[in-house]
Amino acid sequence: MKLFKYPYLVQNEILNNTEFSDLLMFSFVSKRMKKLIESSSQMQRFGNVKTIRYDHRNGRTFVCIPFHHYHDHMLQIAELDDTQNDYFQLNVSEKMINFRIVYEDNKYCPVAYYQPNECESVLNSVHDYFHIFFGNSVEYYWFAHDYTKPIPQLQNLSACIDMPTEQWLDMQRFEHFISLCPILKFIDIDILNVTAHMSPDSKFFQAEHIKMLLFEPTLPANLLNFQGRQAFVDCMRCSSRELIEFVNKWKSGEAFDKLELMKIKSFRDLAQNEILEAIEAKYFDSAKEPPAHILPKVYRDIAFDEQPNTDPITSYTYVVRETDSRVASVLIHDKTFNFGVWDKTEDEFLRIME
Amino acid sequence: MSSTEQGTSSAAPAEPTTAPESAAAPEVPESFYYVHGKDKVVHKVSAGALQHSALIHGMISNLGYTEEQAKANPFPFENIDGDILQMVVDWCNQHKGKPTPPEDTNLPKQKEKLFDLVLAVNYLEIKELLTYCCKQVAMMVKGKSPEEIREIWMIPTDAEDEAAEKEAKKRAGKEAAGETAAAAGDAK
Repeated sequence: MKLFKYPYLVQNEILNNTEFSDLLMFSFVSKRMKKLIESSSQMQRFGNVKTIRYDHRNGRTFVCIPFHHYHDHMLQIAELDDTQNDYFQLNVSEKMINFRIVYEDNKYCPVAYYQPNECESVLNSVHDYFHIFFGNSVEYYWFAHDYTKPIPQLQNLSACIDMPTEQWLDMQRFEHFISLCPILKFIDIDILNVTAHMSPDSKFFQAEHIKMLLFEPTLPANLLNFQGRQAFVDCMRCSSRELIEFVNKWKSGEAFDKLELMKIKSFRDLAQNEILEAIEAKYFDSAKEPPAHILPKVYRDIAFDEQPNTDPITSYTYVVRETDSRVASVLIHDKTFNFGVWDKTEDEFLRIME
Repeated sequence: MSSTEQGTSSAAPAEPTTAPESAAAPEVPESFYYVHGKDKVVHKVSAGALQHSALIHGMISNLGYTEEQAKANPFPFENIDGDILQMVVDWCNQHKGKPTPPEDTNLPKQKEKLFDLVLAVNYLEIKELLTYCCKQVAMMVKGKSPEEIREIWMIPTDAEDEAAEKEAKKRAGKEAAGETAAAAGDAK
């Protein structure tokens, strides 16, 4: 069966019935095969690829493309397994890499293997190959699902942590892991108990977007060290004192200069009046409709999160930053403290409602 | 479901035998057409079944043949092997007037048969069957290494492609030189 004897339309139809993991392998068959992929309507499929994820868990890295409601697994990257002998070698961005094809979850998937000392170079080569294969407009994310292996420093790669509930977070190991990571784009973590307090200087607080579930009582106070843009925190308890301190630090311009949104949901009631009074909140005319604060999310998994924007904060109360007159809406409602920073001065903000 | 017989000429095919039709008889008498492949075996196929083929459907839609005329003028598909045409006719009959299922497991498993079937189906413009066939061709290389894919689909290596390209250029050069020489000879 000679593929190249088929008319172009048939070749294209065959390629339409393949997955990205197949196309990836096809691209290594020959230059002509690669050209066929590039000249076919597959490039439209490639155009639908907006992000590529590296998910690292249990010693393996799973490379997938998020699509609507699923992640299409395209490749795995793992340490060489001496018990296997069916490897084949491929030249990936000028580096010879051992591969095998595995069958898992009803799907064939190629696996690229590395020797313990060449992990970084294999990742680099694979990453470079993706840049050529998918083009430069794709966003790349590395998701660490544990803190065993540092996130590699790769070109155009956003580092993220997505860690499930862990009974005890080994803070020393976790802090060490974070210190070796690039600045994090996104952290989604559940923390039940910690072996030690988190350092206020931790790189953890530099993450652009944090989503946390906290059972550990000391951590909400640590949020005063947050330097990123958006934070969503569910916690056992959050004291009024911490929230007041947070707002006052923002108002004085002492901290949180990049902050766009902070949302803290407590399991206990929040002292709304006490907090609003202490932060000297200003009030709109209740006869007018206050503007809704909405922002594009810093990060979202396009496969499972269809909402590109944050939930609106519609509030009659706001505070003003002393240093630049920037406004933040404040809403304390249903055990939740919402703080949304506007890209507007107080005058500009008030004009919206006129 | 189709009827076949060895014909000697496309102009005068012998009477084909008709296989029993399905239990539900159509209310309006159905018209039939005749096709044959390289082996000249004539297949009697209903217009309903032939609707799957955009090529044949286009050919017959304006002909207005009587039964006798259709019998006397089977469509010749000399580029399609007899057994492949038989498969196509069987498929068209099986799926006559029915919605096509998402998968078809009755396609040939042998590479060469499938290859010929794809070419025939593409030529006859049978869209659904082409999709099934192409899916099957794609399935053949699932879980294979690039080297295995190359063997299954007979894809030349880069070196072979380069050699073939050089050879083609050389041949084209020689032909061009020959034409120039001939033209010069004519001028003299």
